[in-house]
Amino acid sequence: MKILDEKEPALLKRAVRGDEQAFLALYQKHQTPLYRYALRMTGSPWAAEEVVQEVFLLLIREPQKFQPDRGELGAFLFGVTRNRVMKHLERLPREDSLDAINANGTTWREPEDPLTPMMIAEKSERIEQVREAVLGLPAEFREAVVLCELEEMSYEEAAQACGCPVGTIRSRLHRGRALLLAKLELLRDAPRRASAGAR
Amino acid sequence: MKKVTAKKVTTMMSCEQFELSGLDVDRADAQPEEAAAATEHAANCARCFAMLESWRELKQDLRLLQEHTRLESAPARVEMRLKQELRTRREARVPRSTVAVATWALAAAAALAAAIGWMHWRDGISRHTDTAPPQVAAVAQVNPEPTLDASLLTADYDTGDFTQLPGSMPTASSDESVLQARVQRGALVQFGLPVAPEQATEWVDVDFLVGEDGQPLAVRLHQDASSEAVTQ
Repeated sequence: MKILDEKEPALLKRAVRGDEQAFLALYQKHQTPLYRYALRMTGSPWAAEEVVQEVFLLLIREPQKFQPDRGELGAFLFGVTRNRVMKHLERLPREDSLDAINANGTTWREPEDPLTPMMIAEKSERIEQVREAVLGLPAEFREAVVLCELEEMSYEEAAQACGCPVGTIRSRLHRGRALLLAKLELLRDAPRRASAGAR
Repeated sequence: MKKVTAKKVTTMMSCEQFELSGLDVDRADAQPEEAAAATEHAANCARCFAMLESWRELKQDLRLLQEHTRLESAPARVEMRLKQELRTRREARVPRSTVAVATWALAAAAALAAAIGWMHWRDGISRHTDTAPPQVAAVAQVNPEPTLDASLLTADYDTGDFTQLPGSMPTASSDESVLQARVQRGALVQFGLPVAPEQATEWVDVDFLVGEDGQPLAVRLHQDASSEAVTQ
C-alpha cells in the first residue's frame, strides 16, 4: 500500500536502482492506457505489445530521458508511446486488423449480456464495423477520434498529448468524424442496397 | 446579458458552423452557448438534424467499441520480459560494484602495506644510526667470523700490545714489521674494526703490524690521537 502513495519520480529512482516492486507499481499504473491507445491506433495486438514493451524498456535503460520538471511521468510515457505508434504506422500503414484473437491468445472478452444470440451477433458486427472504420482513418484523424472519443480526453488534454493547438485537434476530430460517418454509411447501406437489389 | 449573447449566437449559427462544432453538443466540455445554438439549428435544419442523429448513432457504436476494449491491457509476458531486463541490469551492476569495491580494497591494502614498510624502514634507519653504523654491517658481511671475541675487535691504546685484526692468524714469525700511519678512524673499517659513524672522520695515529706477505695482522692505536676507544 505504501508503494502506491510514493511519488512517481521517487518510484522511478528506486526502479532504476533495480527495485522490482517500484518498477511494477509504475508499470501497472501506466501500461493499460498506453496499450489501449497503441491497440486502438495500430489495430494490432502484436504491435501494441511491442510498443508498450519498448516504452518501458526505454524507461529502464534511459531513465534520464524523463525530466520531472518538464511534466508528469504519464505524459512522458504517452509521448514516447505516441512516437512509437506513429513510427509503426509510417513503416507499416496497416499491418493487420484487430481480429477475434487478442495478444493473450484468447478470444475477445464478450461482456455478459442478456441479449439474444441474434442481438449479440448484430452488436458484434457493429463493433467490428466501427473498429474497421476507425482503423481506416488517416493516422492524425484516427488519433483525434481515439483520444477525444474513445479515451474521452478533453480537447485541451488531447492537444497537450499530441503537442498541437486545440484548434488543430478540433479540426482533425471534425474531419475524422465526417470520414467515419461516410464510411459507416457506406458499410451499412451496402447490405441494404444489396437486399433491395435482390428483390 | 448571457441570454442575449446566446440568442445572438443561436441566430447566427449556419450549417457550415454546425458542421464544425455542432456535433460537440453532447460533449462534457462543450461550450453551453455553442451547444444551445447547435441544438437550435438542428431543430430548424433537417439536413443538420440528420447529421446529428447519424453522429449520435455512430457515437453509440464508438461507445460499444470503447467498452469492448476498455479492459485491454498488455499481456503478462511483457511484464515478465521487463522484469527480466530489470534483473539482468541489476545483476550486471552488482559485479561492477564488486569490482570497484575490490579495487579500492586492494589499493587501500597496498597503501597500508607501503606505509607499514616505510615505517619499518624508518625505524631500521634510526636504530642503525643509534647503535651500529652501516659500515659495520658491511664489514660483518665481508668478514665471515661472527664468533670473534669483541676484545679482538678493539684496538688497544698504547698498551704496547697489538690487537689482532679479524681474519688474521697469530704468527710467531720474526719477519713482521710495524708500519705507522695517520688515518681517519673510518678507514679502520676496511680492516674489520668497528667505527662509530660520528667518529669516522677523526684522525688517529695507528701502528700496523704487517706480516711478511705485506698484509696487516694487528693494529695499535695511539691514545693521544683520539679521545675515545672504538668499541662495538
